[in-house]
Amino acid sequence: MIELGHISVFLAMAACLASAIFSVMGKSQETNRAMLFAMGATTFAFFVLVRAFLGSDFSLELVVNHSHSLKPVFYKFAGTWGNHEGSMLLWCLITIAFGTVAVCVMRPSELKTKAIGVQGGLAFLPLVYLLFASSPFTRLETAPFDGSGLNPLLQDPALAFHPPFLYLGYVGFSFVFSLAAAGLILNEVGPEWAKRARPWALFAWSCLTIGISLGGIWAYYELGWGGWWFWDPVENASLMPWLVGAALVHSIIVTQKRGSMASWTVFLSVLTFCLSILGAFLVRSGVLTSVHAFALDPERGRLLLIGLLLVSGFAFSLFAWRGPGLKAGSEFDPISREGALILNNLFFSVAAATVLVGTLYPLAMEVVTGDKLSVGSPYFDLTLAPLMGVLFLAPPIAQAMTWRAASLSPVLKRLIVAGALAVAAGVAGFILLAGKLWAVFGVAVGVWLIAGTITDLIKRLGEGGLSRLPKLSLSVWGLTIAHVGLGLFVIGAVVETNGRIERTFAMAQNEVVELGNWSFAFNGVEGVEGPNYYSDKASILATNGNRKTELTPEKRYYPASGMPTTEVAIRKSFAGDLYVALGDPIRGEKTGWTIRISINPMIDFVFGGVSLIAIGGFLAFAGQRRKRASPPSTETVPAE
Amino acid sequence: MIEALILAAALSDAPLADAGMEARAQILMREIRCVSCENEPISQSASEIAGDMRHLVRMQIKDGASDEEVRTYFAARYGDFVLFRPKVSGGGAFLWAFPFALLLWVAGALFMAMRARKNRNKPALSPIKDVDHENDI
Repeated sequence: MIELGHISVFLAMAACLASAIFSVMGKSQETNRAMLFAMGATTFAFFVLVRAFLGSDFSLELVVNHSHSLKPVFYKFAGTWGNHEGSMLLWCLITIAFGTVAVCVMRPSELKTKAIGVQGGLAFLPLVYLLFASSPFTRLETAPFDGSGLNPLLQDPALAFHPPFLYLGYVGFSFVFSLAAAGLILNEVGPEWAKRARPWALFAWSCLTIGISLGGIWAYYELGWGGWWFWDPVENASLMPWLVGAALVHSIIVTQKRGSMASWTVFLSVLTFCLSILGAFLVRSGVLTSVHAFALDPERGRLLLIGLLLVSGFAFSLFAWRGPGLKAGSEFDPISREGALILNNLFFSVAAATVLVGTLYPLAMEVVTGDKLSVGSPYFDLTLAPLMGVLFLAPPIAQAMTWRAASLSPVLKRLIVAGALAVAAGVAGFILLAGKLWAVFGVAVGVWLIAGTITDLIKRLGEGGLSRLPKLSLSVWGLTIAHVGLGLFVIGAVVETNGRIERTFAMAQNEVVELGNWSFAFNGVEGVEGPNYYSDKASILATNGNRKTELTPEKRYYPASGMPTTEVAIRKSFAGDLYVALGDPIRGEKTGWTIRISINPMIDFVFGGVSLIAIGGFLAFAGQRRKRASPPSTETVPAE
Repeated sequence: MIEALILAAALSDAPLADAGMEARAQILMREIRCVSCENEPISQSASEIAGDMRHLVRMQIKDGASDEEVRTYFAARYGDFVLFRPKVSGGGAFLWAFPFALLLWVAGALFMAMRARKNRNKPALSPIKDVDHENDI
């Protein structure tokens, strides 16, 4: 069975190559069929690997290293992609799946044939890498009695779904890349191209948003540090395609509606996927030392880098060849919706470049001068917060502007209420947050975003009022929900970061400590046994006036992999999350445990806001799909 | 011996009596990198050396050192690697200037392009006021 899976990966590789070749020859039927064949073969291979994990087939090296017979079934399943080789197979599967979806949903055209061929090429490269540098189907000569388990930190529901969503995002951009390459080859980049590419970009970007936020949620409750974003190089690697993708889903609107910015949009389409591969390279090569780089292997890193150079070299050559000849599109005044969206793209791009430079700078300095230095959260906070602060002032103004040319005074007049609310929120924040200016500015920006977006919604409702709500297009809903979500996120992020209180206590049994308005009584620790771990479980009674709640943080030890994990205890309260993590035992003069307690205000705004951004993205995607299903005649651009 | 070290590490996490000093120490602890861990500030690390480094930060703040003096102290012992906030001088200058320089440069280029277009004396453009065009994003 395992060997059949291995063989089918070879077949998939051949089919992908065939699809690319047929595409060059202009044979659309054969291109499609080869892609469908690759889909069947890769699905089979993936199924074989899943089966090996579920059945704990310890003749497979990968299963031995990353699974254990006592592991819960769900994590055996998720363990399939919780390792380098399996996740690369998932990458290939998703690449081919996007190609297959394209075969099924796109209307036949030359663009389709070319794009699917390019997609075949994009699947061919990682399949070669998979087979020759990181095969998941390597057998052991003698099968051991049991496996060494999955990294227990990764045995978590949020993290089980983190890689698939991240890859749907990363790899989703591969088809946007393929469409861009096909558009450049055929010299067809324009409004019609943008209309076809836009749903793919929205879908990939929304999936990436979910993938990143699952990682943040996981970090919040699993790592025990109370934070949700650490500016770790691996997080930065996923943020870069997200930022460029955010620029893309905005610029592509301009290209679709007005034909302008076509070459910039196509450039972003190519860049987003290149940054996705760069992210995979940074994470997988271990070139950046980081807590997440669990697969350190320079050989693999080199191959991934070659892949990145091939893909980006191909795309940027195409761009250099066709880019200068692209049509300029309709003219527009600097003060217009187009102008505002250019500013949006300017800030998103500078932010992405800053993350890129900050992440690679230590590496570059070490190579060039030999000096080792670190670039961490103080740098990114101080550079990105002002950039994003200014960027997030823009959406309400941009949404109120007309296309081609706009006058500012009616726009600003309409936003007076939103502006007043933002100022009021700033004043309230100034009092509540003890005058932390950045935080005050952040709260005001968040309220401005929400109030401005709702102002825009009211304008779109027009005279019909609320009765027109159901008639609004899904795209309008997507825009509204995503921008409100962004506002909530900004408020949550600044309040949480600036208002969080945290302390580490050395607590003896029955000791009581105070933090915020709460007192915490430590009732001791008991030993507990789980399905595949032992655990020290503490009992802490938190009291605030009449409110009492028991918190039971744990420290788990997984014998199979010999690693401890912290299981924090979290209780929602009005003031924020009560967040308690159990540290190490203390012996000697004072016996007890180190216990870390924090109160994290408005943390739900952070995760809730990001979820709304993703939901907004999916709604916009659905809106674009629906529009494509209806006759295209309504899409005419008015005469110039 | 080991137990004594663990005890020292645990006890060193006692906060400073002065709330203002403690707040400064907390911020510094988030900016100083644990030397035995991978990419963790000492505020987050459970390792012994991070505990000792936290203790050192608090002691120095207590003795009246400024934030910059604490950073310099650690950089002198462990190298610039230990600071998550790269120095503005020397190799860090480019890094800190980069985002804002890039923003100004591109914004300037865009502005010049707009002006060049305006100078061509084209007729003024009118807004598109088509409701369908507006509501169908």
